[in-house]
Amino acid sequence: MKSLKTLVIAAALSLGAAGAAHAQQALVAAPADAPVAATAANPPSAEAPVAAPATTDAAVPAGDATYVPLKPEAGVGQPIDRGVDFQPQVSPVGEQAYWFNHVILLPVITVISLFVLGLLLWVVFRYRAKANPVPSKTTHNTFIEIIWTAIPVLILAVIAVPSIRLLAQQYEPPSKDALTIKVTGYQWYWGYAYPDQGIGEYVSKMLPKDAAEAAGEPYQLAVDNRMVVPVGRQVKLIITGADVIHSFAVPAFWTKMDAVPGRANETTFTANKVGVYYGQCSELCGVDHGFMPIAVEVLPVDKWEAWVRSKGGNPAGPVVAAAAPTPAAATTEAAPAAAPAAAPVATN
Amino acid sequence: MGRLSPKAKTASMASALALAMVGLGFAAVPLYDLFCRVTGFGGTTQRYDPVAAAAEPVILSNTVSVRFDANVSPGLPWKFYPEHPRDTVSIGARDMAIFIAENNSSVPVVGTAGFNVTPTQAGKYFTKIQCFCFTEQRLEPGQQMRMPVLFFVDPKIMDDPDARDVQEITLSYTFHPVDEGKKAS
Amino acid sequence: MTDIAATAPAHGHTDHAHDDHDTPGFFVRWFMSTNHKDIGTLYLIFAIVAGIVGGVISGMMRLELAEPGIQYLTGWAQFFDGAAGDVQGKHFWNVMITAHGLIMVFFMVMPAMIGGFGNWFVPLMIGAPDMAFPRMNNVSFWLTFVAFVMLVGSMFVPGGSGLGAGTGWTVYAPLSTSGSAGPAVDMAIFSLHLAGAASILGAINFITTIFNMRAPGMTLHKMPLFVWSVLVTAFLLLLALPVLAAAITMLLTDRNFGTTFYDAAGGGDPVLYQHLFWFFGHPEVYIMILPGFGIVSQIISTFSRKPVFGYLGMAYAMVAIGVVGFIVWAHHMFTVGMSVNLKMYFTAATMVIAVPTGIKIFSWIATMWGGSMSFKTPMVWSLGFIFMFTVGGVTGVVLANGGVDTNLHDTYYVVAHFHYVLSLGAVFSLFAGFYYWFPKMSGRMYNEFLGQLHFWIFFIGVNVLFFPQHFLGQQGMPRRYPDYPEAYAFWHLISSYGYVIMAVGVLIFFVNILWSLVAGKKAADNPWGEGATTLEWTLSSPPPFHQFNELPRIA
Repeated sequence: MKSLKTLVIAAALSLGAAGAAHAQQALVAAPADAPVAATAANPPSAEAPVAAPATTDAAVPAGDATYVPLKPEAGVGQPIDRGVDFQPQVSPVGEQAYWFNHVILLPVITVISLFVLGLLLWVVFRYRAKANPVPSKTTHNTFIEIIWTAIPVLILAVIAVPSIRLLAQQYEPPSKDALTIKVTGYQWYWGYAYPDQGIGEYVSKMLPKDAAEAAGEPYQLAVDNRMVVPVGRQVKLIITGADVIHSFAVPAFWTKMDAVPGRANETTFTANKVGVYYGQCSELCGVDHGFMPIAVEVLPVDKWEAWVRSKGGNPAGPVVAAAAPTPAAATTEAAPAAAPAAAPVATN
Repeated sequence: MGRLSPKAKTASMASALALAMVGLGFAAVPLYDLFCRVTGFGGTTQRYDPVAAAAEPVILSNTVSVRFDANVSPGLPWKFYPEHPRDTVSIGARDMAIFIAENNSSVPVVGTAGFNVTPTQAGKYFTKIQCFCFTEQRLEPGQQMRMPVLFFVDPKIMDDPDARDVQEITLSYTFHPVDEGKKAS
Repeated sequence: MTDIAATAPAHGHTDHAHDDHDTPGFFVRWFMSTNHKDIGTLYLIFAIVAGIVGGVISGMMRLELAEPGIQYLTGWAQFFDGAAGDVQGKHFWNVMITAHGLIMVFFMVMPAMIGGFGNWFVPLMIGAPDMAFPRMNNVSFWLTFVAFVMLVGSMFVPGGSGLGAGTGWTVYAPLSTSGSAGPAVDMAIFSLHLAGAASILGAINFITTIFNMRAPGMTLHKMPLFVWSVLVTAFLLLLALPVLAAAITMLLTDRNFGTTFYDAAGGGDPVLYQHLFWFFGHPEVYIMILPGFGIVSQIISTFSRKPVFGYLGMAYAMVAIGVVGFIVWAHHMFTVGMSVNLKMYFTAATMVIAVPTGIKIFSWIATMWGGSMSFKTPMVWSLGFIFMFTVGGVTGVVLANGGVDTNLHDTYYVVAHFHYVLSLGAVFSLFAGFYYWFPKMSGRMYNEFLGQLHFWIFFIGVNVLFFPQHFLGQQGMPRRYPDYPEAYAFWHLISSYGYVIMAVGVLIFFVNILWSLVAGKKAADNPWGEGATTLEWTLSSPPPFHQFNELPRIA
């Protein structure tokens, strides 16, 4: 009985594997809480969004330049009670995708479903045994078979054109002037950094229930330190994962991108409306997968600049080496003209 | 039984097919690697081959911004950052970027770096002449090391309708601990 | 297939006479079975048991999700591990979603469709005395059984943050490698190896049987559509499962032997695992639904008293779905960071599948068109199948668009979509097949009233359960969350009510089975009348222990 032998070997192997894994677990036990220690080094304060940090930078040009965290607006950037539709879209890509779904996809799928339902009800009514005691023996009709192959092809072609156009729009290369934000997914919080503004990575964690309620924000969406971006400016996200795969998602921007460890992904959005927009981690990443929300605060430019200064950054960012290194000197290190205001940023 | 019965024949053909698929499953590892290299899939960069590249690349007047991104995987007690967050280079021209790593711990630590570029369609044209990737770097306690990357953006990028509009390429490195790090959770 | 005017020699009853001395004793019959009908029965019982386990788990999940906040998880985790706290509770959630997915896919739908109905009726329908390799058939079943025991066992051993494997049924690296210490994930992976090996053996068996053991005159183009569907499914199994086996073997070595296939630290790539998994995973969804297509085709034809419309188109549509199913896998990973060209390709290729699927749906309707329909329980389930599968199919077309999937990926919209095609598609076809063949398998009629009642309650239940999940998904609710913001509470509560309604329907099903086995009317050889033209209806109900000792001839 060869098969029986296989079975025995398989069982033995499985026991072996289980034992090995046991041993491994013992080894791992100690470093397991390392991420927690790393977090402690960057303590988030629960009350942060409530208390407005004062700006101390004297060099700041005048303006209403203090950062006060925005209160979310009901029904914007977050789900609503009994809501059935997509969240209102505030980015150009989101608007186009929403249009595509509502003007093309939704009507097409609704009509198809109702058409099939109608046909079913009709045959059930018309060809029930009582109404049609003698069945026909028709088994072929080339014409109708061609029709029901060709029409779906046409429908799909009609869908494909705007679908491809939407993809092309999503993938339009971001402008050089886009605000670049580095996003890192951790078990179980997000880290944001603004390399050009000299804002080092800060940690964004879910607010506990009482803190969220005190801040007038929805629990499980509210965070202590938001990602803050200026309204109307293209934002480029460089996304990576530190430990396992996470996924950065903001439904109101029609944005979602996986944070894969060891690999940078890039995506963009442009938020055209001031407000607070929430999202949630969208790739299973362990125990607290459900508890690492995302909050993006979209501010008028001056307010955003105030926020940047409150973080100790420079809103103008570093001036990129204006002159490209001359070809002849290409192998020597080109010294960029301007040094960033802040020291280079260390990640975690 | 001199020759196989029809049943045994069918069964052995089916088994061979299944075995071939197992093989293909494992072969996917090198094939995927090769595929990434050839197509720049997933932001895999190109390596400069001085023999194949008989002539020096032409330097164009167009420029592209190159952003440098650095990550350290958890479990590696290092600071790791680019000297400058970004640079503007002429397409075709060689450029050098410096990444700096510091060992913050009190023991020597060995790390190794992986990398990719975004957007993915630029990977095919981002050519590295020299870099520190996939070689083990050992840092003594408190030691700081400056690591250069020498690269150029292949002028062929201007012929690719998908990639020629790219205004900024991000080169991202991640340092991983060697050995012990593999098992850290 | 219509022209299987089976000139059945009336051996069905003659076999009966010398049936008894062939039947082995209880232990040998059920534990060392080499009889395709007995193995089919074992598979069906096994699938029902696994379905109960998977269904209870989903009930626990709907209970937890009925209200915002975490109400029960910690308590449940404590049931397995007295010292469990919050973290173990949340880990237990991940264990449940993993177990529910794996059990329903590998231990409920697949064993019922292929192991159960396939074993029972493929030999009967092609006029074969048994499967090609009866002993291998037995090995397949017991491997599946051991795999199931191992998967359930994995819930009781450490898996990182608590007991059990909490990786999701997709077992993505690195959560399943460096992210989950402890033997639970190894056990779960091993369980998949065994289940996969069992299915590959089964696939070889079916392919050999169908290619070599058809009765004289039964050409490939005369085979009943159910046999066609099992043949295509067997090829999908044969091509897809080995790739899964390779992928998860590398997971095991990454976990235990220091390899770095999926670990960026050693030059590997976690995305490679996703490619390999979905290269298996997408054909897998057709593995689960194609036999359902076959079952529904038989039933529609039987109860319309009309041959299947466009038989060849139906058969080759399944082949087409199977082939195209292998080149669309990356639509499951649209957000992983892929280039625009690749996304456009996978969008277009995925939408192509809608064409053969449409051909099938319209051909079923055309089969009924002009027919003389009676609405027995199997037929009602099949009608429900067609409509629900259409609804699940069109949301699939929405998700196929890479640009739209950006928003919907990993939300409840996806959950709704795949439950419409599986829980309302595949499961409806399973119930349809069960009622259709119950008289043949057991020799007794089921209770028609209970069958109809079961359908209507189940139909309402699953729609209340899953339709609101489209809304949740559009609103942004991500999958695999044990808890959610207030705003999602309403539809989650409705969804949980739906579960209760559905569960009542399932209870009626069990009542019906028990009642029918004990007190059901004796079933005639062919209880469905002239519409039932396939060979199994020429035999007695239940068929003799060994049938077709003298092969039937197909005109």
